[in-house]
Formats: sequence, structure tokens, C-alpha cells
Amino acid sequence: MPATTTTLGPAAARVTALFEELFGDIDRVRGRLEALFGSGPVDAAAVLAVVEADARRLLDRGTALGAGFVAGRDALSDHTLYLAWWQGDDQQLLGESEAPASGAPFDYTRREWFRVPEETGRRHVTGPYVDYVCTDEYVVTCTAPVLANGRMVGVVGADVLVETLEGILLDPLDEVGATLVGEHGRTIVSADHRLAAGTILDVGAARERVDCADLPLSVVVLADGQG
Amino acid sequence: MGRSVRHASRARSAVFAPLGDHGRAARVEQRLAGAIRSGLLSDGERLPSESELASMLGVATVTAREALVALRAQGLVTTVRGRGGGSFVNRPKAPDAALVDSRLAAMSRVELRDRGTVYRVILAGCAELAAERADASDVRDLEELLVPADEPDVARWRHADSELFLSVAALTQSARMTREVVRLEADFGATLRLAYADAEFLKASAGRHVDLVQAIAAHDGERARATVHRHIDRAMELVVERHAQVRR
Repeated sequence: MPATTTTLGPAAARVTALFEELFGDIDRVRGRLEALFGSGPVDAAAVLAVVEADARRLLDRGTALGAGFVAGRDALSDHTLYLAWWQGDDQQLLGESEAPASGAPFDYTRREWFRVPEETGRRHVTGPYVDYVCTDEYVVTCTAPVLANGRMVGVVGADVLVETLEGILLDPLDEVGATLVGEHGRTIVSADHRLAAGTILDVGAARERVDCADLPLSVVVLADGQG
Repeated sequence: MGRSVRHASRARSAVFAPLGDHGRAARVEQRLAGAIRSGLLSDGERLPSESELASMLGVATVTAREALVALRAQGLVTTVRGRGGGSFVNRPKAPDAALVDSRLAAMSRVELRDRGTVYRVILAGCAELAAERADASDVRDLEELLVPADEPDVARWRHADSELFLSVAALTQSARMTREVVRLEADFGATLRLAYADAEFLKASAGRHVDLVQAIAAHDGERARATVHRHIDRAMELVVERHAQVRR
């Protein structure tokens, strides 16, 4: 079993603080949407009106690249699938999504960032992964379920570039010689320059490990010869 | 031309053949969506009414209605109310066969091979890296994209093929590589998937898709690469053959 140590504490605390700040913003939007969905049928216009200001404020903080609400199938009265999602430097609204190349409506409901909150009823961090549907970038996606009448009607979330995380977290990780890994032990940022983002590590074999709150994120120090 | 019309009318009547006991709204929707996307039902054509559709397909009227609602949501059908109203086919602006053929005919053989080579090298490389980097959940996502071997809808196969390759590209963990493949798909994907007009290719595709996903699951880069080579080489043979026909 991985030993918990205090040396990784500051790095793990930095990671946790960064993600808790994002989830704080996400939870605010989630609360508004749960009230909205609790009061009757909802269309895209109503969702946009409730989400837009908070999503833009979240993006203005500069950590996230995209943010908003993604509706579950048929959760809205006027769309089968819908993304009240703003992204990019110009905070453009996504709206309906099409599959790249074919142009068919894109069904995102099987994606990990949608599926896991639906299955667990809890917040989740997906990635790092290449998001070829929305951003076309290498990102980590934070999502939390929006529940109404016991059913998930969608997720509120935010995308953060792995590059952004590297910029913020490389120094604190360097100080303790650690690596931040996501779900499945995938490297996000590492003090070890030989470890590319995306490399899967055997977290169970790490010499030290601290998990970041209830998030699927861990700060680890690898055993000699690992990675 | 006469031959293709006869073929089309037989295929058309299959669109309205009874669905049987397990026929449900989703299947009605799938069948009609496939017929619309593939052009069997033409743009602007009026569909039978809900009750006619229900009796032709052997399903309840509510089931037919549910399917029409879903088709409307997909933008494949437009409903006009009142006298002279009804549900009309709204063909998506995806590349249709004639357009793809004319694009193909405008290409030289050497250009076609040139594009095929770029596609083959890049996608095989993606498959190899994906095998190295995929985790169990990635593999599950790929498995969800697999189409049952007995699926007859060519449009669905083309879509699934494209989505599988895009997903494999994303598993390289490289955003630039993925964007490159998105660009390639937009540029050459429709041409390459002309191969799905060949029934044998379509059938073999099912096996090759499974092989590819299994190779990635087994972290077997060599096998993943070889599977992509087999798939694209066979597709290119058929596309080059088609090219020789449309160039005349």
C-alpha cells in the first residue's frame, strides 16, 4: 500500500485548491440549474439565461478554456442534445454539436465526462485526453451532475488545458519531485521531464502517494526505476 | 442507370417492409434515418402519414409518431401542418454519392494514391500509439463504437468507421495529431469510404474493426498497425477501381 507522507502535502494542497475553486464555480451553476429544472419543463433559452453569466465569469478567471452545461438526452423540451457551453478566447457558444467530418449530431452521452457523473451521481475529473468534439485540445474536464427529480438532466463542467495545469503546477511538483496523475494513473504534469503527459503509471507501485480530496487525482512519487 | 433505379426501388420497398415484434420507435427511426441519409428517400419527398407508416411497418401509431419526432429532432424530417401538410424528407447536406463521385473524378490517379498514402501512414501510426497509450476505459469507449456485423446501413458504417479512426487518433494523447486526422477525415474520409458500397468490404469491416480494438486492448501496436494497413489498403483498391470507372 502506498505510504502517505507529509512531503507531498503542499503540492497536493495546491492541486486540490485549484480544482476546488473550479468546482466551487461549477456548484454555483449546478444549484441554479437544479432549481430551474425542479420548477417544470426547460428549454435551451432558459438554460442559457441561467448559465451564461456564471460560465463567463468562470472563464474570466483564466484557468478554464471552456465551461457551461451539457444537457442529457431529451432533458430540454426543444433539443435532443444541447451544449450551453462557452469556450475559447472569444467565449463562443457551442450550442449543438456535430461529429467531426460526418456532420451528424454528436452523441456525447457515452463520454466519460458525462457517463461517470451519471453513473456515480458524483463529480468527476476526466483525462487528460484529446477532446476532439469541443475544444480540439489536450484537456482535463471537470464535471458535476445536475439532478432533478432523482434523474441526471445534464452536467455542469469546465475544461482546463493540460498546458495551463503545467504552467500552474510544475513548480510545486518540482519542489517535491512528484507527478500529478489523473484517473487510470495517467500523467498530467510531472517533475520528471522524461514522463510525457498521457503516460500511464502504475500508481499502486508508487513510493509515496497523496490523493486530492475525493477527486480522481493523486500526487505521487514513483519508486526507483518506475515510469 | 436503369439498373440502379430497379435496385433502388427494391431497396425502397425494403424501407417500408414490416418490422416484426421487436420493432420499436428507435428501429423505425434508424431505418428511416438510414434511408434518408443514404438518399433512398429523396429530399423533399413526402413520407406516408403516421397511421400509414404504422400499418406499413407493422407498429403502433404512437411508435411511428415517436420515430417521426426523433427524426424531426435530428433535422431529417420537417413537418408542415394543415392542408397539404405532412412530414417531408430533409436530406442532410452530407456529401452524397454523386458529389463524392464527381470529386473523385476530378482527381488524377496519382493524386488519389498520394492522399491514400498520407491517410494510411498517419492512421496506422495513430493505431500503434493508441495501442501503447490506451487504458481500459478508452477500450470500452472504442467498443461502444463497434457496429454489429449484420448492420446493412452503409451510411452508418461510414460514420462508424470515421468515428473509430478519430477516436483512435485521440488516443495518441496528441491534440495536433488529432486535429490533423480531423482535417484528413474532412478532406479524404468521404472518398475513402466509397469502399463501403462494396458489400464484401462492409462485411470484412466488422471483423477488422473488432481486430483493431482488440489489438489496442492488448497493447499490441504491431497488430493494430497491421490491421489499419489491411483495412485502408483494401479500401484504396476499391476506391481506385471506382476512380477508373468514373474517370471514363
